[in-house]
Amino acid sequence: MNDTAKNWDKMTWQEKREERFKRWLNPPDVKFVSQEAEKLYKERVTRFIKAIKLEEPDRVPVMLPTGNSPAYWGGANLHTLMYDYKKGHEIWKKYMEAFGDMDAFHGPGFVPSGRISEVVTSKLQKLPGLGLPEDAPMYQFVEGEYMKADEYDLLMLDPSDYNMRVMMPRTSDFFKAFERLPPLRATYGNIWLAAMTDPGIRKIFQTLIDMSDEQIKWQMASMEINNYIRSQGYPSLFGGGPMAGAPFDHFGDALRGTHGIFMDMYRQPEKLHAAMDYQLKLMIETSIKNFPMTSSPVCIMPLHKGDDTFMSDKQFAEFYWPTLRALCLAMIDEGLVPMPFAEGRYTNRLKQITDTPKSGVVWWFDQTDMKEAKRVIGDICCIVGNVPTSIVMKGTVQQVKDACRQLIEDCAAGGGYILGGGASADTAPIENLQAMMDAAKEYGVY
Amino acid sequence: MAKEWADMTWEEKREERFKQWLSPGIKFDSPEAERLYKERVTRFTKAIKLEKPDRVPVAIPVQYLPAVYAGYDLGTVMNDYGKLKEAWLKFLNDFDADSFLPPSLVFPAKVLEMIDYKIQKWPGHGLPDDAPSHQFVEGEYMLASEYDALINDPADYLLRHFLPRSAGVFKPFEKLAPLTPFVAIPVGYVAQFADPEIRKTYETLFDAAQEAVKWAMAVGEIGQIGLSAGFPNIWGGMSQAPFDMVGDFLRGTHGIMMDMFKRPDKLHEAMARLVPVAVSEAVGSANASGCPIIFIPLHKGTGGFMSNKQFEEFYWPTFKEVMMGLVNEGLVPMPFAEGNYEPRLEIIKDMPRSSTIWFFEHMDMAKAKKILNHTCIAGNVPVTMMVTGKPAEVKERCRQLIEVCAPGSGYILTAGAWMDMGNHENLRAMMEAAKEYGVY
Repeated sequence: MNDTAKNWDKMTWQEKREERFKRWLNPPDVKFVSQEAEKLYKERVTRFIKAIKLEEPDRVPVMLPTGNSPAYWGGANLHTLMYDYKKGHEIWKKYMEAFGDMDAFHGPGFVPSGRISEVVTSKLQKLPGLGLPEDAPMYQFVEGEYMKADEYDLLMLDPSDYNMRVMMPRTSDFFKAFERLPPLRATYGNIWLAAMTDPGIRKIFQTLIDMSDEQIKWQMASMEINNYIRSQGYPSLFGGGPMAGAPFDHFGDALRGTHGIFMDMYRQPEKLHAAMDYQLKLMIETSIKNFPMTSSPVCIMPLHKGDDTFMSDKQFAEFYWPTLRALCLAMIDEGLVPMPFAEGRYTNRLKQITDTPKSGVVWWFDQTDMKEAKRVIGDICCIVGNVPTSIVMKGTVQQVKDACRQLIEDCAAGGGYILGGGASADTAPIENLQAMMDAAKEYGVY
Repeated sequence: MAKEWADMTWEEKREERFKQWLSPGIKFDSPEAERLYKERVTRFTKAIKLEKPDRVPVAIPVQYLPAVYAGYDLGTVMNDYGKLKEAWLKFLNDFDADSFLPPSLVFPAKVLEMIDYKIQKWPGHGLPDDAPSHQFVEGEYMLASEYDALINDPADYLLRHFLPRSAGVFKPFEKLAPLTPFVAIPVGYVAQFADPEIRKTYETLFDAAQEAVKWAMAVGEIGQIGLSAGFPNIWGGMSQAPFDMVGDFLRGTHGIMMDMFKRPDKLHEAMARLVPVAVSEAVGSANASGCPIIFIPLHKGTGGFMSNKQFEEFYWPTFKEVMMGLVNEGLVPMPFAEGNYEPRLEIIKDMPRSSTIWFFEHMDMAKAKKILNHTCIAGNVPVTMMVTGKPAEVKERCRQLIEVCAPGSGYILTAGAWMDMGNHENLRAMMEAAKEYGVY
């Protein structure tokens, strides 16, 4: 950010974004294996950038719903990857060679370390072999009312303190002793000494220290494979954006739960609004403002409780969209590219999400009517989606190609479209994913 | 409790806390010790409630003096907890008093060195070996541009920005990621431990804590012995005026005085943010200690530091809010007005009847008694006289103070500040005066 010619604060959002795009196109930390790899990398990134800017690229770019399917292709599963960090490397490398051309590719995603997860438990997550069958292809989020209805004020009083002393012990037996931590806002460092005299608290830190070798191995492994993939000429879409989601989901997913937050919409709407406004400000101040230059400016934001069936248009307008929109605007203002991932169906919502700057947001849709999406927001936002996951996973190659062709016909005209799946297809056959690439090349040339 | 805590008036809550203070559930050395303990606590609670006790209570004005009295000095007892205990117990044994303070502010030197504590100097560490007191090291530990970060997420700010500047051991915490985006995702929290410097921080804290336990056990034992012998603790917790929270530790005097002109809105916002933080902290420590008196040393609002207009705009409103927050929890704020609060009397009288103990350093006590006639006041034999004067002088000054302040109750006899050295016979003179002249 500091190496730009013009003062960052004085730049328009488009200028900031151009800087970030330049960095995406010319990654200083990647050593390409060949000039060919570098050329392909630039072509691929350019394809995405043009689509994002609602311009026509050479052809429709593809965001393959690969997920962790290479693991299954290589005879392994999520459980294997959780314990054998190197195994993923071998398989992913082979998969990449076997697959051929792709517009983007990533290393294993969301694969926690098995050994660390065994120790640092979480009631919010079930993992293969840890609450789920060993061969489960995905983890399972366990919702609950982890934050009580009367704790909004406590959270807003000091959110990090609340997180560490209330939520962590409540959602993880490993962190149970943190409930005995003194308030972390004390201006004296001696509270930490007092805390470290508690054998339970000490044990937490000692265990985390003891596991650091494992943690480093795991982090290095993930970095290595992604560096390798980049060097082969495959850009990343998910690389390095800030972690963000809708403020409504922040409270609805991990804190109050679906039941809790829907009760709050009726029983204490003002509190909920105050908390969402607060969370929004916090996210902008700590995670968005002055966000560093990273490998890609695209920020995927999974959305949950605002979909067509979860609330009415009126509720969406009152509770969900205003803070999500404000968050997107803050990202845009930093030159970032928010990519809300609308899980479920957003067909009703389309008319409500048009009030963002042209080409600022990229919408990734799951079950939304894409023809309608193109019609309503196609002039404003690049759209991504949405070959049904069922077809990608279980359909024939021809069915996949047909679905892609239809989508391209409906959405590609004039640019601003990325062909993608409705969700990650974790056990998708390689042929079906290759069929998506083929379809883009066959039907998606501008 | 028959009535729910939340439904009680502040007076009812306070009565509950007074009851707990009166019967601390410990084993006294003798029935006599228990009787004396209750007499002493009652003396204070009556003075607070503006009821007449048997005589004027005395808050014995000592800080580090027991070290010198036992033939050691502060540096010695900061390094040797055995000697620390020996000195404080000797003092306990040798002096009659209405209260006893364990040496919880005589910090362990080894621990401070291990964590490379930067905001205090102590004997042998920045001060001469025989220095009688510690020295606070003010600085601009929080930058002017960091108000928003503090306001948005105090724990996060203090952890990642302030602590690394206040002690060397916490320097690596500068590299920590914000805590809140990882709500309920432990993986985010675990990631920090891959950094060897951060691991080192925790390892050093482990060692320092082991040392701190030895010290804390000695202090705790001294406190228990004092209680068992019949001497109540009159210091149940500590709090601060929000202006001082920002001015002392974070921005420093220079910083905050500039902020009053350059960014008054941010300063106001930050102080408002710190009110509930200050209240909740004091409530926690009072619950743990069993004594409801919250000691609040005041610094930057004193006469000479700002005008009455500035005091009314910047200092008093949030400070009053903190005190009211304490009062509403049944606690008794005891602001210690260091410096000269005479210009502030008309402003600070705006508190509920009998809710507060105002402890004054430099003050025309007759004037204070007149203007604050609805609240308990404490003070103010000059500490210069306590340290260097003769017992007869001290006794005479105490007599004058009792004559002016004691009528109708609401007075605690003490000095204008605490003694770290000087003529200990003056302490005996003060007690004598209370007994001789202070009987109601």
